[in-house]
Amino acid sequence: MSPLERRARLMLWGMCPAYLVYFVLQIVAPTWLTTLPARLACLAAAAGVHVTVFAIGSLVFGRKDRGPGLTADERDLAIEGHATRIAYSVLLIGMVFVGMIMPFNQGGWQIVNGALLVIVLAETTRNLLVARGYRGGPRLAH
Amino acid sequence: MPIEAMTNDIRLLRFLADDMTQAELGLRVGLTRQTIAAIEQGRYSPSLDVAFRIAHVFGKRIDDVFKWTPAEGEGEAGA
Repeated sequence: MSPLERRARLMLWGMCPAYLVYFVLQIVAPTWLTTLPARLACLAAAAGVHVTVFAIGSLVFGRKDRGPGLTADERDLAIEGHATRIAYSVLLIGMVFVGMIMPFNQGGWQIVNGALLVIVLAETTRNLLVARGYRGGPRLAH
Repeated sequence: MPIEAMTNDIRLLRFLADDMTQAELGLRVGLTRQTIAAIEQGRYSPSLDVAFRIAHVFGKRIDDVFKWTPAEGEGEAGA
């Protein structure tokens, strides 16, 4: 597995479960989650899980990702570029919705969570496409 | 949408070059083993620079290694 693919999978494993729980909690909105400190703590916990999983994974696999023949080459860059272009479109469309539509009928934490959801969706799209690019994704050219 | 086919003889040329491994070829042209495998299977079309380097490793011309077939109905200039 190439270092870029491993990093993409680590990001997915760290990010998806953490933010899935976060967004489910935001939708269910239990009574203990209505105060500002509780909401901030919940957000910090999701970010913390994400960072921790990624950091531990990087430490465990970091040694494997060094050595001759493991530096990113033009195919890695092509896969990353393709994934980033599509993820950027997701981010752009999402931000138009959050920044230009939501302020007229939503407020406060809904906008914060909307922005966070768009970022998570864009990052998930990017990492999914990177992982797929190595496993029978679309035929790419330099 | 016309589908062009780019094929190559890298697998055969590796075999003829004392069964050179994908990793060894990758090291000599500055690519990973996975990228050489993807090129061989037609899942990735390399840059012209890399195509020249691969041909150079085998002491061949680029069109001895890579073959390109135009899509059906795609005419030549002046044809």
